[in-house]
Amino acid sequence: MYKKKTGVIGIIITVIILILLVFISNMDIKKMSYVENILSSIVMPIQNGLTYLKNKVSGNNTFFSDINNLKQENEELKNKNAELEKQLREFEIIKSENATLKEYVNLSEQYSEYTTKPAYIINKDISNYSSIFVINIGEKDGIKPNMTVISEKGLVGHIISVTENTSKVQTIIDTANTVSAVLSSSHDAIICKGTLEDKSILKGSYIPTNANLILGDKLETSGMGGIYPKGIIVGTVKTIESTKNITDRYITITPAVDFEKVQTVLVITSS
Amino acid sequence: MKKLLIVFIMIIVFLLIYFLQANFFNWFTIAGNKPNVFIILILFISLFASKEISISFSILSGIFLDALIAKKVGISGIMFGIITVLGIYFDKNFSKDSKLTIILMTIGATIIYEIGTYVLNSILQGAQLEILPFIKILSIETLYNVLITIIIYPIFRVAGNIVEENFKGNKILTRYF
Repeated sequence: MYKKKTGVIGIIITVIILILLVFISNMDIKKMSYVENILSSIVMPIQNGLTYLKNKVSGNNTFFSDINNLKQENEELKNKNAELEKQLREFEIIKSENATLKEYVNLSEQYSEYTTKPAYIINKDISNYSSIFVINIGEKDGIKPNMTVISEKGLVGHIISVTENTSKVQTIIDTANTVSAVLSSSHDAIICKGTLEDKSILKGSYIPTNANLILGDKLETSGMGGIYPKGIIVGTVKTIESTKNITDRYITITPAVDFEKVQTVLVITSS
Repeated sequence: MKKLLIVFIMIIVFLLIYFLQANFFNWFTIAGNKPNVFIILILFISLFASKEISISFSILSGIFLDALIAKKVGISGIMFGIITVLGIYFDKNFSKDSKLTIILMTIGATIIYEIGTYVLNSILQGAQLEILPFIKILSIETLYNVLITIIIYPIFRVAGNIVEENFKGNKILTRYF
């Protein structure tokens, strides 16, 4: 009975060994190298330790002088590293300043017909229901309420209040802000407004019944309303929403400016 | 002296929350929606500090916030004042020892503050009321505030007891009911 049992176990072990051998021998080299890696990671630390011991014993007289040299070298390298890190930080600051200045120059050139003041955003809204930000220039720099704020891509909003050194900007995606715009292909005038539904789009309404709407059509400020000058890009037509009553139809607009990413703006002080 | 120190700490916490709201919570959002931690702070102060301190702190902090970033100065002041009155009412009528009560108070305060602010802003600026999107945002914001309340509840209780002992002294009643 005992012999019969051990025999069965022996057969099972043999079958397993066979299967393993077949499996391993048919594995591709990459997988084999994985196995090699595992094996070497087990063996190599021991091997390294043994080699270190062997070297230590054979070169015993130079061991302590080497340590002193290494310590000195390490100290020098640490100092050099700190110096390089400092230089790298300075370089990063210069790089970021350079990028900001380039952006300012590009903006000023793009809107050369207007007198502008560059600024950057220092604070963003804390509420979910409005879209306002604060810029770093104010009354001292000649900024007044209702001045238009633009960016490299297009219209950002307008100034609603100023302090000596800062100004509050109400963006065009704010639900309480409206912009009169014209479709660039047909010159039909519409009204653009921010919406709570999606803070990354504008809603265009009061569309003339005979207006020809095209997806992707650009929208520019119409110059009406007394705040925004004519010809500043507002965005592009994203969708056209038809309703039962044609007078109620509206479009959704992707603003030209990405309000999540915008950092540098220009305030139009005079045209 | 101790009361003065507590008020000073309240101001520091208020500023800390302001920087968190303006920076960290601008990207750490739930479906693009930020919490309103100021509501939790104002509720906390109104529950544990004295009437005079909580009303003056809430109105002044509201005006300060409006002056910094809002379109009209005063709306947050009024609404924080209302939250404070609500907090004082809660303090008289409910136990603050239960986490659930604090959570329900946070929900109530968030809903009342945001509805009031939104309606007042819409009336004053002639903006169109968008009820469904507003409810959606408000629900997420309330949920976010509740989560923050659950996280900070242990601090809320400990700090609350310290504030209460210093401002109300032997007038504390609700804890023993």
